[in-house]
Amino acid sequence: MIQRLLPFLTLIALFVGLSIASPHFLTSTNLSSVVRQTAVINIMALGMTLIIIGGGIDLSVGSILAMGGLIGSMAMEKGVPIVPAIFIGICTGLVCGFLNGLMTTRLRINPFIVTLGTLGIYRGVALMISNGLPVHSLPPAFSYLGEGTIYGIPFVWFLLVVCAVAVHILLEHTKHGRFVFAIGSNPDAALYAGISTSFHTVTVYTIGGALTGLAGMIEASRLMTGQPTAGQGYELQAIAAVVIGGGSLRGGEGTVIGTLVGAFIMGLLANGSDLLGISPYLQQAIIGAVIILAVAVDELRKRRLG
Amino acid sequence: MLLQLQQMEKRFGGVTALRSGTLTVQSGEVHLLMGENGAGKSTLMKIVAGMYQPDGGAFLWQGQPVRLTCPADASALGIAMVHQESLLAPHLTVAENIFLGKLPSRGPGFVDRRRIHAEAARLIEAHNFPLQAGWRVDRLSPAGKQLVEICRAIHRGSSLLIFDEPTSSLSEAETHEVFRIVRTLRERGTGVIYITHRLEELRSLGDRVTVLRDGETVHTAPLAECTTEAIIQHMVGRPVTAIYTRESLPIGEELLRVDHLSVAPLLKDISFSLRAGEIVGLAGLVGAGRTELCRALFGLDRITSGSVHVAGRPVSIRSPRQAVAAGLALIPEDRQRTGLTTALPISHNITLAHFDEVSRYGFLNRAAEQSVSQKFIQQLRIKCESPRQRAGRLSGGNQQKVAIAKWLVKQARVFLFDEPTRGIDVGAKVEVFETMDALARAGAAILMVSSELPELLQVPDRILVMRQGTLTGELPGRASQEAIMRLAAFDKEPAA
Repeated sequence: MIQRLLPFLTLIALFVGLSIASPHFLTSTNLSSVVRQTAVINIMALGMTLIIIGGGIDLSVGSILAMGGLIGSMAMEKGVPIVPAIFIGICTGLVCGFLNGLMTTRLRINPFIVTLGTLGIYRGVALMISNGLPVHSLPPAFSYLGEGTIYGIPFVWFLLVVCAVAVHILLEHTKHGRFVFAIGSNPDAALYAGISTSFHTVTVYTIGGALTGLAGMIEASRLMTGQPTAGQGYELQAIAAVVIGGGSLRGGEGTVIGTLVGAFIMGLLANGSDLLGISPYLQQAIIGAVIILAVAVDELRKRRLG
Repeated sequence: MLLQLQQMEKRFGGVTALRSGTLTVQSGEVHLLMGENGAGKSTLMKIVAGMYQPDGGAFLWQGQPVRLTCPADASALGIAMVHQESLLAPHLTVAENIFLGKLPSRGPGFVDRRRIHAEAARLIEAHNFPLQAGWRVDRLSPAGKQLVEICRAIHRGSSLLIFDEPTSSLSEAETHEVFRIVRTLRERGTGVIYITHRLEELRSLGDRVTVLRDGETVHTAPLAECTTEAIIQHMVGRPVTAIYTRESLPIGEELLRVDHLSVAPLLKDISFSLRAGEIVGLAGLVGAGRTELCRALFGLDRITSGSVHVAGRPVSIRSPRQAVAAGLALIPEDRQRTGLTTALPISHNITLAHFDEVSRYGFLNRAAEQSVSQKFIQQLRIKCESPRQRAGRLSGGNQQKVAIAKWLVKQARVFLFDEPTRGIDVGAKVEVFETMDALARAGAAILMVSSELPELLQVPDRILVMRQGTLTGELPGRASQEAIMRLAAFDKEPAA
């Protein structure tokens, strides 16, 4: 039980430790910025949680994020109002995710390979349609998505909570969620039970893509540019958040709460290192070590349970 | 005496695979080894080949006690085995596989490719096998792989060769070549142990026969002195201890009818029907196609030709989803791999096949899930801490009950039970039978695949027997073990 709570305890320990170590940590400015920084990874990681529980993986989310942000921004540049443009960004991600799912199920290619391929393809397409140039002329009001506040609380915080609750309900309270767990836990048994495994697998990638498209719009809003090069390396952070939070790359395991905790642990580590003046180079190594440690502890727990 | 095995024992965990295996083989002798599925033939032979270490008994090689700790030890003595399941490296060539483990080298650590190739070519040439030394093994048919195994064994086994039913996948010409090889080996003074079910074919070849039953050697004699009937009796001649008795029920409408069903490459022209209230046994040896028949009916394999009717209506089932919709249920042979999601709670497993029962508009009703799970846990007497316990933590018998419960929620009408009692204790077996009986009473039709002859004689109303992909006969429920074995294993009706 202690080990199951380890991610929570780590998060609390980090929070308390940083509050003591740095006077700048426990300020509303700093905490808002942590929330904003982690929201993008967090929302992507929610989609990744679904995919990983279903026994899959999506390495292309960084490229999908760029596609979503770019196409949404280009729509705004062409005069589409902000809300429909955000919707276009989300739909772009949705289509990318759908294609990933379709290829893994129809062509029966390992999702690792499919999404390694689409990681290149989506990035290449984003660079091509933008000629490699960022989209700058965005309406000023668009910045509200990533930077706005309600009663002093960042707007993205509410977005994250809504997405997290929705994904949690999907996973724990719907037929689809239950089937995703079954497929990830044992695809053959799910098939033998008469479940359409390919339909549910495609759905999971599609939802993951849509969430990543939303994350792409938030990223674009924070930078006030649609960048074809956005989101590089984010896939590893999203996967790391799921894994630190107790998700298993063998499928069938993972929780929304765990993923959120995982993403915040990484966010706090990055923020704390900045505040304490730790070299950004070392930060990467620290986060890498935390990933290995988290999985090692989880494996030990499972081995003891047998 | 080349090989003497005395009272060999082998246990796997708590399961005794071999209780008392006794066998002697002389040089220049072809010794047939016979027995039912699970009699311990393969286990005994894997001990001889150094793949398993015995838990007891004496192993004498040319009169001296020996201890083999790995296959390399066996091959050092000149013992080699042709395996039934292919133990080849699929990405290597035929030649490399033949010499694997004994690769001719050219200086330390370097392989002499040219010599391997030439020697393999010579070996293949000598036996007229349709192989090429340079072919990759994964491109070969099962028969081709078997021939590579044979080449490898001949190359290695100078003193004792073991054939584990090598001809089941071979063509007639290839089979004759194998027999010719066996004769040559005998003339050369090599000992041969030949596991087989096709006694008639091997009558002319064998010198002596040893019969195993339930892990024990029950009979050894010169082949000429044994009638086929006598051998069958030794194979199955256990007293049937009734653990369960069942009354036949009045039989209702036809729920499943299969006409001239074929599934490439194994199943050919299978026709039978199941009626409401009926339990029909399906007997056969491993590889007879019983599991394949269940898979095809459940939409897991594509049916090549023939038709299937469920409750009088023609159905075309191409996926398990359609099978479930048509009212079929499959309790597969391998619970861990295909029957359960072992990492998930019992309640998840029970409601998996019929989620609509516990949900509305796709949203789960936790209370309904709890009560449905509780109901079936009580009804089937599943011993567990709570419905939230992981299914994988249960005993084999309780796991099987969870796999069955999944279909009770669904209220399927045609049940395919594939080896429903494999690996579960006697008490749980009886409970599984009681569940099957209750299903039949409620109007379901049940097909029960089993390799346990006593079980087949106690539970089903009638018994279908398969051999090599075809139905070879139908017997009444109170038939004898001998009658089943005759249809399952032998090509011709042996003279009484």
